[in-house]
Amino acid sequence: MTRFVESTITFPYKRSLGPVTGAFMTALAEKRILGIRNGAAVLVPPMEWDPASGAELAADLVEVGPAGTVESWTWVPVPTEQHPLEKPFAFAFIRLDGASCPLLHAVDAGSPAAVFEGLRVAPRWRGRRVGHITDIQCFVPGETSEVDGPDVESTGQPVELMDYTASVTYSTPVLAMADRAVAATREQRLTGLRCPACERVYFGGDRPYCPVDAVELGPDAEIDLPSTGTLTNFIVVEPVRYPGQTATEPFARVFVLLDDSDVVLTYQPVIDLPVDEIRVGIRVTAGWAPIDAPVDNVSGIGRPLGSLLGWTPSGEPDVNDPDLVNRIY
Amino acid sequence: MIPCAVVGVGQTHHKSRRRDVSFGGLVREAVFRALDDARMTMADIDAVVLGKAPDLFEGVMKPELYLSDALGAVGKPMFRVHTAGSVGGTTGLVAASHVRAGKHRTVLAVAFEKQSEGNAQFALGSGRGASLGAGGSFAPFVRAYIQRSGAPEHIGWTVAVKDRLNALKNPYAHLKIEDISIEKVRNSPMMWDPIRYLESCPSSDGACAVVITDADGAQAATAAGRPPAWILGMSSRSEAGSFPGRDPVRPRAGLQCAEDVYQEAGITNPREQIDMAELYVPFSWHEPIWLEAHHLADEGEGWKMIDDGQTEIGGSFPVNCSGGVLSTNPIGASGLLRFAEAANQVRGAAGDHQVDGAQVALAMAYGAQSQYFSMWIVANRLQPFG
Repeated sequence: MTRFVESTITFPYKRSLGPVTGAFMTALAEKRILGIRNGAAVLVPPMEWDPASGAELAADLVEVGPAGTVESWTWVPVPTEQHPLEKPFAFAFIRLDGASCPLLHAVDAGSPAAVFEGLRVAPRWRGRRVGHITDIQCFVPGETSEVDGPDVESTGQPVELMDYTASVTYSTPVLAMADRAVAATREQRLTGLRCPACERVYFGGDRPYCPVDAVELGPDAEIDLPSTGTLTNFIVVEPVRYPGQTATEPFARVFVLLDDSDVVLTYQPVIDLPVDEIRVGIRVTAGWAPIDAPVDNVSGIGRPLGSLLGWTPSGEPDVNDPDLVNRIY
Repeated sequence: MIPCAVVGVGQTHHKSRRRDVSFGGLVREAVFRALDDARMTMADIDAVVLGKAPDLFEGVMKPELYLSDALGAVGKPMFRVHTAGSVGGTTGLVAASHVRAGKHRTVLAVAFEKQSEGNAQFALGSGRGASLGAGGSFAPFVRAYIQRSGAPEHIGWTVAVKDRLNALKNPYAHLKIEDISIEKVRNSPMMWDPIRYLESCPSSDGACAVVITDADGAQAATAAGRPPAWILGMSSRSEAGSFPGRDPVRPRAGLQCAEDVYQEAGITNPREQIDMAELYVPFSWHEPIWLEAHHLADEGEGWKMIDDGQTEIGGSFPVNCSGGVLSTNPIGASGLLRFAEAANQVRGAAGDHQVDGAQVALAMAYGAQSQYFSMWIVANRLQPFG
């Protein structure tokens, strides 16, 4: 039975709107809907180029609507938080008066029985508008625009940038062998997988193949590894700011060649080793989380594996070998 | 195999933030410059190939579909390429492959990044905290190179200064550090020991486009007084990112890619037969690392070429005359910029950073844990070696 780990990553992206979409968004804040002339046609929303040929369009913007006609639609009976309305609604292609193509938007019609091709609709504007497509809360049946709540005049500032917060939740399968490798760390043991063809050993259990020989590595390949070694190389990272950054002070990652083996653990955290004392050749030993402490199940470059939190100096004399620094992998 | 050549090159002005343009506006700026250079319009293009870094960088899923109408690709074959940092180079190779195979006559290669709309450190850290960044990943490789070659530390500063001086001659380059000096680089903050701030590439918004066509098109351009850059050799290679014994300073994929591209181009002595190179150097120490890993210098000798000034414009083997990735880094486009700049050199179209008499040029891009490599060799003639 495969276990899955769920992860969510979120990031506040920006969108430069450019001259044409920027003008469209700026007008929305003023309760106006703009299209752009493309020969005899009027495109809504306006585009910088002819979508058929890619030819540049002169910035000949014209106001359309605000009312229009439903050309096609589908009913959304159970909206999610990502939908524009909390109650059931229609997504509709609405051809605004004066436009040559339909605009996709929501229609608040109460029930699917009230929606049909040819239905006339008009925008329901938000009272406080920011220059975003959601300034139109939705369309409603009828010929007349309405405003939801007190109408706050727009500042008239050009809208050039849009915030777009993306969030992705995904599930990653965790192999039984990877779980066994994590379980071994709870007993303060390190394990790996040995390739029967080339005898290379891969730390942990989340890579069930040898990338050199393309040989599958099953439970037969599991071996115990020592938990002492020598520091071969390192990085001290000066953290830069970004949304989601957790590091504030310089931090280190080190490479550890395990004793009596050919295995290098890459990008490992350190414990009780100040960044300005890190050097090639330090003898280190595994540092473990207390028994029964919760451990991070998310593996990855620069992350601890289960109860293995990092590496700490053993106090033995340094190893002096000029070739050590080359053992990055 | 059908001979093919670059007949049009275009790029944007690169900056930290190109807030004046949308994604579409950005790529079109490069595309129209390339089409104008080729004396073509979108109607002359038979297929489009788009390259960029992972979608997580800007948060646009399938940007090749989102941008197909902006690129005039409606009703035409449209391809997306992704090979980490080498993607821009691979985009050029995929486009040229379509022409070589005879499937399409004229293909547009486009690559871009709008780094300011997302965050590369965030994306490279898979969306979590304590991202190592590219510099953090590569710093151990640089430490190993310095140790085994015995190179003095000023080599890193020297490359950093050279590429920024070259950027002052390139009107499209992002970083323009007028008072760049060894002193300034040496005194800049240590970011990822042993890599200093000014030994690192910037984050840029920008795009690059290249028009590749067949021999008939290339000969027509020649007849019209617009010399093409003939593509003599193309290669890409990759290897697993980590396995015991892997050497990221001298990766086999990099050595094999170079050997393959030289063989296809008929080059037996790359150091002598190639006139200049645009190499993917995001951190200054990658210049000597790649000189050695691409058979342009003997092992342990690459840094001496830099110390002797041989990789400057006017030296015996100029490298990154455009200012390179150290001066301009719209990640997805950075590889294609190398390929485009190499093409412009052999076309005699490199402006103030032109290498006098350049006839054969190498372009290279690499990505991820120094594990993906893309290269092409371009020349001013189809058979420059007789």
